[in-house]
Amino acid sequence: MISLTSYLLISLFLFVLGLVVMIARKNIVAILLGIELILNAAALNFVAYSRYVTNNLDGHVFSLFIIVVAAAEAAVGLAIVIRFFQIKESTHIDEATQLRN
Amino acid sequence: MFLQVLFLLSATLTIGCGIAVAVTRNLMHSCVFLLGTLIGIAGLYATLGADFVAVTQIMVYVGGIVILMLFAVMLTGGKDFVSRAQNLLGLAPSMGNKWTFALSGLVGVVFILTNVKLLMSVASSLPTKEINNELPSTVNEIGHLLVKDHVLAFELSSVLLLGALVGAAIIARPRKQ
Repeated sequence: MISLTSYLLISLFLFVLGLVVMIARKNIVAILLGIELILNAAALNFVAYSRYVTNNLDGHVFSLFIIVVAAAEAAVGLAIVIRFFQIKESTHIDEATQLRN
Repeated sequence: MFLQVLFLLSATLTIGCGIAVAVTRNLMHSCVFLLGTLIGIAGLYATLGADFVAVTQIMVYVGGIVILMLFAVMLTGGKDFVSRAQNLLGLAPSMGNKWTFALSGLVGVVFILTNVKLLMSVASSLPTKEINNELPSTVNEIGHLLVKDHVLAFELSSVLLLGALVGAAIIARPRKQ
């Protein structure tokens, strides 16, 4: 019952949910939530392939590095969000027009 | 048997909370549902025999990143996030409206269809190894891998974390008036 395909389907579904969040939301924090979902889908794929296809634990190490990079990304991203809110008094993505023209 | 029950519970938690993250209108509720998704993914890691990754997932994501997200939500403006949103059409509240959800749903359906088609052809041709049903501890071997094969990436990730934290502290510093 538990097979590689079921993990891949869960991961695909999570990825699509992250994509939906990133496209549909206009709030910067919500977009960061979507990025977290997508990163988790990728890490789940690594671990699933590591158990069902290869014979070593390199996939586990890769997903650990994904978690590290996600932590760094969340720290910097949320700092940028807070700074943006100090400047624009809003977290709406359409307010970020400073580099336009 | 225990593995299958755990798998079903974790998969349901992951997918259900993921859908809730995608459709909830309240950003705070979205963050809390993301917590459920991450715990479900930790359960899926546990069913895959990845005990160290599961514990790391709970410690880093559930204990760190989601708390950071909640702090960011609370610091950036309460109930302001659904109001005074203006784009070109003047119809976009910040947590999404029916047009953005329709567009993203279309993208998602197309993505799922193409990927399921790809998966079906790939999944039959994968060389699957023999699955042993007892799940040994992986901590020892991951420790050896981190300081032998992947030592460069290990050190670089420490530098990356240090840089990211210092950068975050500098970026979020209050303005000098």
